[in-house]
Order: sequence, then structure tokens, then C-alpha cells
Amino acid sequence: MKYFLFVLLMGFSALTFAVEEAQTFDNAQQAQLFKELSLELRCPKCQNQNIADSNAVVAKDLRDKVIELVKLNKSKDFIVEYMIDRYGYFVHYKPPVTASTLVLWVVPILFVLFGFGSVIFRQKKSAVEQEWSEKDEAQLTKLISKYQDSSSQMKQESGQ
Amino acid sequence: MSGENKNSKLMFAVPLIIFFLLCIFLFKGLFSNPRELQTGRLGQEMPAFNLPDLMQENKNWSEKDLLGKVYLINVWGTWCPTCLVELPYLTKLRERGVEIIGLYLEQGYDPDFDGEFNIQALRDEVSQMLARTGNPYQYNIFDLNRSLAFDLGVSGAPETFLVDSKGVILLHHTGDLNERTWRAKFAPKFTELKEVKL
Amino acid sequence: MIPELGYISLTIALGLSILLCIYPLWGAYTNNLRLMRAAPALAIGQCVFVFISYAALVYASLTDDFTLVYVASNSSSSLPWYYKITSTWGGHEGAMLLWVVMQAGWTALVSISSKSLPWPLRARVLGVLGFLGVGFMFYTLLMSSPFESLLPYYPVEGHDLNPLLQDPGMIIHPPLLYMGYVGLSVSFSFAIAALLTGKLDNTWAKWSRPWTISAWLFLTLGIALGSWWAYSELGWGGWWFWDPVENASLMPWLIATALLHSLAATEKRGVFKSWTVLLAIAGFSFSLLGTFIVRSGVLVSVHAFTTDPGRGMFILGFLAIVVGGSLALYAMRASAVSSPGRYRLFSREVALWLNNILLCVATLIVLLGTLLPLVHKELGMGSISIGEPFFNEMFSYLLVPFAFALGVAPLLRWKQNKFNALKNKLLLIGLLSIVITASWLYSSYDVVSSMTFIAVLLAVWVTISTIFDVVERATKQTSLIVGLKQFTNSYWAMVSGHFGFACVVMSVALTSAYSVERDVRMMPGETVTLNEYVYRFDGIKEIVGANYTGHAAMVSIHKEGEKVTKLYAEKRLYNVGMQFMTEAAIDASLGRDLYVALGEQLNNGAWALRIYHKPYIRWMWLGGLIMSFAGLLILLDKRYRGTSKVPQKHKDSNNASQPVASGEVS
Repeated sequence: MKYFLFVLLMGFSALTFAVEEAQTFDNAQQAQLFKELSLELRCPKCQNQNIADSNAVVAKDLRDKVIELVKLNKSKDFIVEYMIDRYGYFVHYKPPVTASTLVLWVVPILFVLFGFGSVIFRQKKSAVEQEWSEKDEAQLTKLISKYQDSSSQMKQESGQ
Repeated sequence: MSGENKNSKLMFAVPLIIFFLLCIFLFKGLFSNPRELQTGRLGQEMPAFNLPDLMQENKNWSEKDLLGKVYLINVWGTWCPTCLVELPYLTKLRERGVEIIGLYLEQGYDPDFDGEFNIQALRDEVSQMLARTGNPYQYNIFDLNRSLAFDLGVSGAPETFLVDSKGVILLHHTGDLNERTWRAKFAPKFTELKEVKL
Repeated sequence: MIPELGYISLTIALGLSILLCIYPLWGAYTNNLRLMRAAPALAIGQCVFVFISYAALVYASLTDDFTLVYVASNSSSSLPWYYKITSTWGGHEGAMLLWVVMQAGWTALVSISSKSLPWPLRARVLGVLGFLGVGFMFYTLLMSSPFESLLPYYPVEGHDLNPLLQDPGMIIHPPLLYMGYVGLSVSFSFAIAALLTGKLDNTWAKWSRPWTISAWLFLTLGIALGSWWAYSELGWGGWWFWDPVENASLMPWLIATALLHSLAATEKRGVFKSWTVLLAIAGFSFSLLGTFIVRSGVLVSVHAFTTDPGRGMFILGFLAIVVGGSLALYAMRASAVSSPGRYRLFSREVALWLNNILLCVATLIVLLGTLLPLVHKELGMGSISIGEPFFNEMFSYLLVPFAFALGVAPLLRWKQNKFNALKNKLLLIGLLSIVITASWLYSSYDVVSSMTFIAVLLAVWVTISTIFDVVERATKQTSLIVGLKQFTNSYWAMVSGHFGFACVVMSVALTSAYSVERDVRMMPGETVTLNEYVYRFDGIKEIVGANYTGHAAMVSIHKEGEKVTKLYAEKRLYNVGMQFMTEAAIDASLGRDLYVALGEQLNNGAWALRIYHKPYIRWMWLGGLIMSFAGLLILLDKRYRGTSKVPQKHKDSNNASQPVASGEVS
């Protein structure tokens, strides 16, 4: 009897969790993939919105297609390429890596290298500028001996 | 030493040069439309499809029907105000010998919510509209679920595709087709293909 | 009558600005003191008339004067009065007038506070500011006047302010941002004046700093507020979208941050002079570029004001003259500037240089990402999109060296350091940071990705390092409490600024990794559980507001049986524009935000609801506030208070012993 009541109770409590999800996927990975893609794909008709956000008809079509492909267990790359085949690179918020877009990565790296390099270059330059030549050495020796002579002379004169 | 000075002077001019280049692009950007998109299928063959004719019962069209001649495929709908403005010009193009096939894009129908689609009401609406503006279309393909539109990368209406005799998509124009855009984009391609005497 | 007054007033202001631009600059060039002395009066004069002009627009808006195109398009009689004032900057024309107001205001402020500047420099600064004012006033009067009339036929009712903008955020966000953008024009003017005068000495750096910091302060507040507002208002839990208009505000901010660090080095050590000048020019240039992007229609954005190529041309022309001219001047004069300071590779100077390089690279990345689609298309290579994935990836790469250096830098001394002395301190801080981060993250979460760990570790690293430095300096010669009291405002500002940054990094990392979202359809009475919080949908209530009607979903939230709160997530229909708006309901606390947004009503009586759990997200904007507080602290520093008094005080206290542990950083 206790067991029966228990099972009945469990059955009833399960009803309170029967809230319908807006989307139904087979597993958590699919739900996650859909979420990621809906943030990464761009609505072709909107003022810079992703398809998750937009109410446009074409955005809804894209979302529906993504759901369809996700449920078929297609990979992220496959789905993105599927969309690009139809709507062009515009539809993906990640730029393709082509000769013309390489500048996006190359220029910042060059800038950083140049920036670091200029500091190191400055260090070398200031080190070089302070180079000591032979002529300077000779002049210094002359000055030191002159001072030593004059100071020893002063010592003699003050009677030490 | 003077060489070094020249180098450093040149260095200080680099920001100016870069800025100047930037201004050129910003200036050109003022005259281009950032919303204009191109299909990803440019240069490729038409995708496969099997869709019913809009006005005739029991008549279907496929991509094979587009082979052999140069066509314009015009995406439109009665709900689209710009299409209404475009229709008279398309009719004129038909009179000049350009063959245009309509791809009717249905926007309002949601299979989850609405019932059976009322095709007759739509046919009446289309007949009425084309009676006013003239009929530029050889025939109309009815894309209820926007499947062909999706495969073509269509995001709204009006849009026009130029397809050659081998079924290859040569051009995709978003926005209405008028004399200016015809002369700028389509006419040169037509002359190239030497298919139609204009 | 009043609108005409506004228009005439603006025209007078333009006239005064033209004089302000010509007289002082010519006077400085020909060494004519009388011409130079005209500058302050002209500056104040143009400010007064601009204020009158703006007051006229506000008056027109408050009295529902629909004979004006602008008021008819952006306001309505049912709008609450505070939103009527807000509507004066809700549309393009009014926003331009607001910019002019800011420009005139800052010019007048500089004029009043620059009495101790030598005349040639002072005249030139005001002259350049006058030139900028001329450009903006000309543009406003000619191409985007809010005083355009609809007479003789005008509507009885206005189109109403866009419901999205009927929010407290709209009251503060644009003014804050504009204060920042225009404030950068002051640093710009100082740099140009210094280049024109040919003297890039300590005076210039010393004078530039407080103005730069004020502008930076406003920008920081403006951006933080914008992010918070988007989060609260838009209903999808996002707080930054890398939209072109957002990027347009981020770029000047990054440059301004680099500038205020560079100015510190220039003022204290005389290094990086020509670089600092370039940054000062760049700061305002990016403000102008931002204005261009937002108003020209060149890029697609949800925030974009207007898409009119004619207006865009004017702004581009102005941009070309101002930026092109200043860069040309820079190219000609900057090579004559030398920075005599010497420093070793392992010194605070180099650390600040690193800071600048990384901040400028960040700016470059944002610039490239924003403008490359345009360039790509113009070159005929088709359309591409550059958005969140790209920017997030690049910024997470940048964060690592930047935050690492941030932790090391305060411990570095100027000119040179011994690595061995520092090595042990750094190792200790590093170890502490790893232990704290690991114990925090692994005890709170099941799965910790390496990216999240590194980001939080960096935030903790910066914090621990800052605390370490505070303790070390305070206890160098006295006890901790006494030592802390002796710190200057500028030192506390550094502590505050860096700590604020660490808060932002921590919050972004944790909220990005551990936010949970559920998209559900609920009937009244049903519950949903998210991360140990139980959300119960209690039902729908009809709501009526000042200029809207709609529905509110009542959602009560419980945790472990105890009631946490009751939220009202609204969906409003605004009467005039017939536009729908979701007002998300948020229960905020330091540890997490509980966020509910109401969606569509469904056929069977159920409603769509979006529920989010966002951990630590408040720390992001708190971090922004803490950083802004840093700016305020520097401005309140003794040296900027009562400049006429301070020299005397110094004369007296020169003989008294100075506190050693003052930790002079900036």
C-alpha cells in the first residue's frame, strides 16, 4: 500500500514539471549547438541582429533550418557552411580566413611586434650613443693626471 | 645622421597616410548600400527544386525547365509594396523580349497556426494585381514554404536573378529593378550573352 | 517665436565661434596680445548663446510645440515631462544640438580655468576649440537643424519618442557619452596648441591630464551605463554586442585609457612625448569617426540615427580637415620633439609602453573589425560580417599579456629594477592567485574550462598584486594604518582603477561561462527550476501606464522553500506608435541576477517566458563605477584644488619632512 501511494505521489509530482520547452531537442548537446548557432548566424534582412534575436521572416526560416539540421546531428561546421552556401559570408558573424581578411590578424600582430621592437631598438640605440671612444679615454687620462698634479701641488704648498 | 632624420620624419607621416586611405574608403562607403546582399550561389547552377505553378492546377516546375534560355527570376509577392512599383517596368522588359519567371514568395503563412492555405484567394489577388500593372511573367512558381527562396539565399522581395541557358546564376540583385539598375547591371550581361536583341 | 529665437541664438553663437577661431589663433601667430585676450570673452559668449538655443528647444518640447518637425517626430503630448526633455536628444538633430551644447560648455570651462596659462598657449587652445565649435554649429544650422518648421500645416499630435528610449537609461546615457567625446576635444586642442607653439613641455602634459581624465571618466560611465541599459531593456540578457555604434564608443575609450597612462609617464618622466601627442590627436579623431559612422549610413547598426549621404559628406569633410590637418601638423612638428628620459628594459616606463601598445592594438582590432566589411565590399570582394566571435576571440588573446603586465607594473619602479628582487614577490603573488582561483572555482562549479580559469586567475592576479603593493608601500616605514593615510589620491586612483578592471574581467568570464537560460511555455501555476531557484508563473495581469497598455506576468521565485522575490515581467503596447516593448523583470544581487522576460501568448492560454540565471553580472557595471571613481579621485587630488593656494602651501611645507610612502604612481 505504501509503495502504491508512493508511486502515485511520484506520478502526480511529475506533472508539475510538465512545462513545455519552447524547443525540443534530443539531448543537451543539440540544445547547446542550436543556442550557439543562433547567436553566430546573422539575420540577412535586419539592422545587425543575430537570428536568435530577430522577428524577421527570413530569420525564423534560418532558425527553423538550423533546428532541422541540428536534429539530424549535423556538425556545427556543416550547418555554417550550409548557410554560407546560400546567403554568403554575410550570414556568419565570424569572418572567413581569406587573403583579403588576413589583414584582421596580421596587422595587429605586426603592430605589437613593431611596438615591442621599437622599445628594444631604443635601448640598443641609447646604449650605442653612450659609447666611449679612445679619444675620450685619452682626454680623461689627461684630465685626471692634471687634477692629481694640481691637488698634490696644493698639498705640498699647504705643508703636509 | 640626416638619413636617420629623414626616416623618423617619414615615420611621423605614417598616421596621416593611413588616415588618408581610410577617408577614401569612407567616402566610397557613402554611396554604396551596406544592406545589399548577394546570394552564395553566384556562379553556380540553380538548386534543384520541384514546385507547383501559382495559377495552374497540377502543373509543376523544376530546375530543368530553366535550361536552354536566359531567364530573369523575379522574387515578388502581393504583400510587397516595392514589387507593385516594379511590375510595370518588368512588363516593359517583357515587351522588349526579356523572359521573366516569377517566384512567388509567401510570407504570412505559418503551417503551425493557420489551416489549409487558401490558394484560390491568392490567385484572385494576383490576377487582379497583374491586370492593373501588366503581366511580365512567363509563369509563376509558387514557393509556399520558401524552400527554393531559402536555397537561393533570398531574404525578401523584390529580388531578381539572372540565369543563363545552362542554368548558372550570373547575377543577384536585391531591391527593385528599374531602368537605372537594368542599364548598370543587367544590360551588359545580356549583351555579353548575345542572347537577346535589345 | 521661441524656436526662431533658438535658431537665431545658435547663429549668433556660430558668429562668435568664428571669431573665437580666427582672432586668438591669428593673435598667437602675430604675437598680438589684444587679439589673444579676446578669446575668453568670445568663448563665454558663444557658450551663453548656445545654451539659450538649447533652452529654446527644451521649451518647445515641454510645451508640445508640434510646429517644429523635430518635436513632432520625437515627442508627443502624453509623454511624461522628463521624457519630453529626453526627446530633445532622442533624434538626430537634437542630439547634434546636444553635442554643440557640450562643445560650447567645455570650451567655456577651459576658458575659465586656464587663467594661469601663458597667453600664446591659452589663445591657441581656445582657438582650436572654437574651430571645432564652428564645424559642429555650421553642420547643425545647415543640415540638421532641430528648429525646422512645419508651418503652415502641422500635426495635432507627435509621433512619440521610440518606446525603447523611454527609459531612465536614455536620460543619462547620451549626455554622459557626449561629455566624454567632447571632453576628448580638450586634450586634442591642448595637443594641437602645443604643436603650434612648438613647446611640448611639462606645462602641456600637466594641463592636459585633468581634462583627459574628466573625459575618460564620463566615457567610462557612459559605456558602463549603456551596457547595463541594454541588459535591462532589451530582454535577451545580453550586455555587449560589438555593434558598430558600441564599437564607436569603445575606441575613444581605449585610446583615452592609453592616453591617461601615457600622460602620466610624460608628466613625471618626460618620456613618450611625441607618442602622447599622437594619442591625444587620436582620441578625439575616434570620437569624430564615431560620429561619422553613426550618422552617415555607411554601416548597418541597430543604433544608427539616420542614413543620409549628404550629411555624411559634411561630417567626412569635417573629419578630413580636423584629423588630416592635425596629423599633417604632427608629421611636420613632432620630429622636433625629443624625449630625453632614459630607462632600462625592466622599468615602469616600459610597462606603461606595453599598456599603450596593447590598448592601441585593441583599438586597432575594433577598428579593423568594424570597418573591414565596408572596405571588403568596396573592393568588390563581396559582403562579410565581423561580429562577436571575432572580437571575443581577439580580446581574450589580448587579455592575457595585458592583465599579466597590469599585475607586475605597480611593483615596478621608474627607470630600472632588479629582476631578482621582484621575482620572489611575483612568484608569491602568482601562487596565491592560483590557490585562490582554484579553490573558488572548483568548489563552486562542476566544470571549469581553461579559458574561464585563466580569465578569473588574471582578475585575481591583478587584485592580489594591487593589495600586495598597497600593503608593501604602507608598511615601508610606518604601521599599516598610518601608511595608508599617507597615500595620495592618485595612488588610490590607481588602486581603484585597476581593481575595477579586475572586477569587469571576473564578471565577464563567469557570466559568459555560467549563465543559464530556459525558453519555456508556461500555464499559470506551473513552475520551472533553474539552478536551485524555483520560478512559479502566478498569472497575467493587465497593466495601464501613462502612455501604454499591456500585460504583466507575475512570477514568484523561491529558493529552498523560502520566498526570494516576486517579479513583474511586462509586455507593453505604446499607444501612439503602436509598438511592442518587453520590460524584463530582474532580481539583482551581487552574486547573481534572476531575469525573466515575457514573450508571446500562445493558443492554449500558455505564455512564452524566458528565464535567465546570470552569476556575478552586477560586478561588470560595479567595476565600471569603481574605475570611474578612480578618475574622480585624481580630479580631487590636492594639486588640482585651488591652484592659487597650493604654491604658498608648498613654500611652507618644503622645510617640513615629507611623507615617504606616498607611492607616487600617476
